[in-house]
Amino acid sequence: MTQATPFIVEMRDISKVYPNGVRANEHVNFAVRPREIHALVGENGAGKSTLMKILYGMERPSSGQIFVRGKPVSIHSPHEAIALGIGMVHQNFMLVPSFTIAENVVLGAEPARRRLLDYRAAVEITRQLSAQYGLEVDPEAPVEAVPVGMRQRVEILKALYRGADVLILDEPTAVLTPQETHELFAAIRQLVQSGKTVIFISHKLREVKAISDRVSVMRNARLVDTVNTAEVSEEQLARMMVGREVFLRVDKAPMRRGEPVLQVRDLEYVTEAGVEMLKGVSFNVYAGEILGVAGVEGNGQTELVEVIAGLRSAAAGQVRLCGVDITNAPPRRVRQAGVAHIPEDRLTNGVALSMSIAENLIVDRYERPPFTRGGLMQPAAVAEHAERLIDQFAIRAPDGDAPVASLSGGNMQKVVLARELSSSPKLLIAAQPTRGVDIGASEFIYEQLVRARDNGVAVLLVSADLSEVMSLADRIMVMKDGRITAVLDNTPDLTEEAIGYYMLGVKRMSAEEIAARA
Amino acid sequence: MESTVPLSFDRAAARKVVQAERRRSTLIDVGVTLATIFAALLMGFVVIALLGKDPVRAYEALLTGPLTRLGRTGRWLELATNLILVGLGVSIAFRARQFSLGGQGQMVAGAIVAALIAIYVPLPPLLGVLLPIAAAMATGFLLGLLPGAMKAYLNANEIVSTLMLNAIVLRLYDYILTFHLKPQGSETTRSLPVQPTAQLPTFYELLGVDLGRFNLGVVLVIVGAVGVWLLLERTPFGFAIRTIGANEKFARYGGIDTRRVIMLAFAAGGAVSALAGVHLLLGVHRRLFLDFVGNIGWDGITVALLARNNPLLVPLSGLFYAYLLVGGDRVEQQAQVGSELVQVIQAVIILLITAQVLGDWIRAWRARAQVEV
Ligand SMILES: Nc1ncnc2c1ncn2[C@@H]1O[C@H](COP(=O)(O)OP(=O)(O)OP(=O)(O)O)[C@@H](O)[C@H]1O
Ligand SMILES: [Mg+2]
Repeated sequence: MTQATPFIVEMRDISKVYPNGVRANEHVNFAVRPREIHALVGENGAGKSTLMKILYGMERPSSGQIFVRGKPVSIHSPHEAIALGIGMVHQNFMLVPSFTIAENVVLGAEPARRRLLDYRAAVEITRQLSAQYGLEVDPEAPVEAVPVGMRQRVEILKALYRGADVLILDEPTAVLTPQETHELFAAIRQLVQSGKTVIFISHKLREVKAISDRVSVMRNARLVDTVNTAEVSEEQLARMMVGREVFLRVDKAPMRRGEPVLQVRDLEYVTEAGVEMLKGVSFNVYAGEILGVAGVEGNGQTELVEVIAGLRSAAAGQVRLCGVDITNAPPRRVRQAGVAHIPEDRLTNGVALSMSIAENLIVDRYERPPFTRGGLMQPAAVAEHAERLIDQFAIRAPDGDAPVASLSGGNMQKVVLARELSSSPKLLIAAQPTRGVDIGASEFIYEQLVRARDNGVAVLLVSADLSEVMSLADRIMVMKDGRITAVLDNTPDLTEEAIGYYMLGVKRMSAEEIAARA
Repeated sequence: MESTVPLSFDRAAARKVVQAERRRSTLIDVGVTLATIFAALLMGFVVIALLGKDPVRAYEALLTGPLTRLGRTGRWLELATNLILVGLGVSIAFRARQFSLGGQGQMVAGAIVAALIAIYVPLPPLLGVLLPIAAAMATGFLLGLLPGAMKAYLNANEIVSTLMLNAIVLRLYDYILTFHLKPQGSETTRSLPVQPTAQLPTFYELLGVDLGRFNLGVVLVIVGAVGVWLLLERTPFGFAIRTIGANEKFARYGGIDTRRVIMLAFAAGGAVSALAGVHLLLGVHRRLFLDFVGNIGWDGITVALLARNNPLLVPLSGLFYAYLLVGGDRVEQQAQVGSELVQVIQAVIILLITAQVLGDWIRAWRARAQVEV
């Protein structure tokens, strides 16, 4: 029964119950017009990824119908979705890290000669697709060696190579720098120009406003409304998602700066491949202040954080916490010295997917009372602690016994945030703390960071989002090519442009100036 | 700190649903395991019939064998005791996702050291048993510590190192037995018996019930299972082991001393596995001889895998596996089915259960059924 329809994809009355009983979608009606950019927004756990996984054949709906180009279809696997011209790039990437980009692009549908992978052809195909859609990649580089932004483009190319007409991008910008986001948007526009349709999930309403033609808002497993983007404001969208006003503005009391908590001196870091990523980095973070680290991603910020946290070894230099030398100490000692760390890559380092939420929330404190008393762990205390944090951070989970693997992407992030923010540290390192979480949670995290500062915690904030750094930090340290190029007081007259010059290396402060301020 | 993020989500309701679903899923697991065993037995039945043997007789022997005589029942329980003890030990390292295969060597080494005390040192009653047990555990601990340290600090592959260590210990055992423990002028290569105070009494000696060599060592099983469960689920050390097993990077980042915990997990497992050796020595054979442990170290690994490294399930899987082994012996004798065939049937059963094929089918089928509501 084919019918004339203005939609390329239409999902009607879709419901989904996961095997654990969670209702992730309830009677959702979702329709996409050809050649539009359709944004899908909603709080963490609202059911966005689930709806898209159903469209991509990764999950079966419990009820409902799907129409593609007006024809009813039932999509049993991603393979069938691809055959229908539907491609998806996931919230968590699914590439083979040790393969080259070209190999990853063609994987599963390889050009072959005498049943062997024709590698030259794969490289050529990748190069052509890359040029055609303005998605710049290096076809012969192994995926593990390239930055996240490029990995993302690889995922997109992969979907395009398989003939996707409808491209689903699940939070593509969560891991991107503003610059990379800009490039991605240009590529998306080009895709639409050449006849593709894009479904785009994001928590950043500014991006949604900038790129999409229409927006669908999900809330609590239901699709609330689909509207023309031009007709709504960011504030209206936020209200539709959350059901209340959201202010991402930060009210800070004047800083009461104390003693230096973290002292970093002449820190050097060299990668295994021999690349110098940190070159003589020296600075302090004081009790009661937020030091924001700004910089184009890949200029040593990640390495700086991981060296301090004990996850990488410095080649030279010193790190001291409240006078105690923790240079190259294992994470255990770093934590014991009073450091909490919200890692950038939260799904690799930050959680154990197969363990329960409650267990994930105590990994840094399980040996201490009330969790261990008299040598035995206290399940009641562990459960109670989980209940409290699940409530405070609005982690969308039935209880603390649920495995982290059963949470939505953003709620996994919240588990990490809840643990680290609640650990009452002396130094709190927050790397990209609001990545992947919804605006309500971002607002809450901002409040928590400021509260920690007001309670005398030293906060080291690293963020690719310059506006985030500018609204939270007391001082801003700019990094470029592994060096500090400026340390600025975050006064009201400081502008994004002023910081931008240092980020791009157009300007740099003299060593004396930096030493005096860092 | 109070919540400022309102949750448009009814947690109490979700909790009720999810908790009910969890209970149901436990029931399904039990049902699936039973069904798997049944299916595997059915397959074996067909195989035997196809080979022109009498499957009914073979199955009668397999299924009732261990229960047909008290002596056989005793043999079953005695074997199960050994398998469970090794299985418990093995499961500790497995939970940290360390593939330690050292059970065999740890048993043997534990038995030698225990034997030196039990044979040559006259001790008062209770101490006569406890001291060899403690000595065996200490030996097993050290024998686990070595590959554990090599893995944790030198990143030496634990499969290779534990296998090498097994080979060395077995050679050493033969050497010590032949040249030092065998009494002068004895014809068979075996040691003197252990002191009477060192014996773990059999149930015949205790109660007059003739269950063969089944003995008081069974207490070790009960204490061991509960002890290992407590260790893994209720101590901070066990939490660290499980966390490492789930995601080692995460464990390290979270502040767990992963190297130390990995090393000690090997060692703790060694101490428990060595109990099987001391049980063989004090309760079953009461002396050492060549090929004293047989296949127990290996079968213990199967038992741990069958129980999915859950210490409370290890006794069940040990009883089950020992039943198959003893029943298998009866099949050979009664139905003239070769021992290879019996082993094939055993392997099919084990494979089906460990692979959970059937479970996956049933889950897939259930999911589909749910979808069609
Ligand atoms: N594999 C799973 N098993 C059980 N429950 C799941 C599973 N995946 C998701 N859920 C649940 O379904 C609900 C919706 O999850 P979904 O991933 O669709 O959210 P989302 O809107 O993509 O959120 P986010 O913005 O955090 O990515 C959540 O409550 C989540 O806990
Ligand atoms: Mg999602």
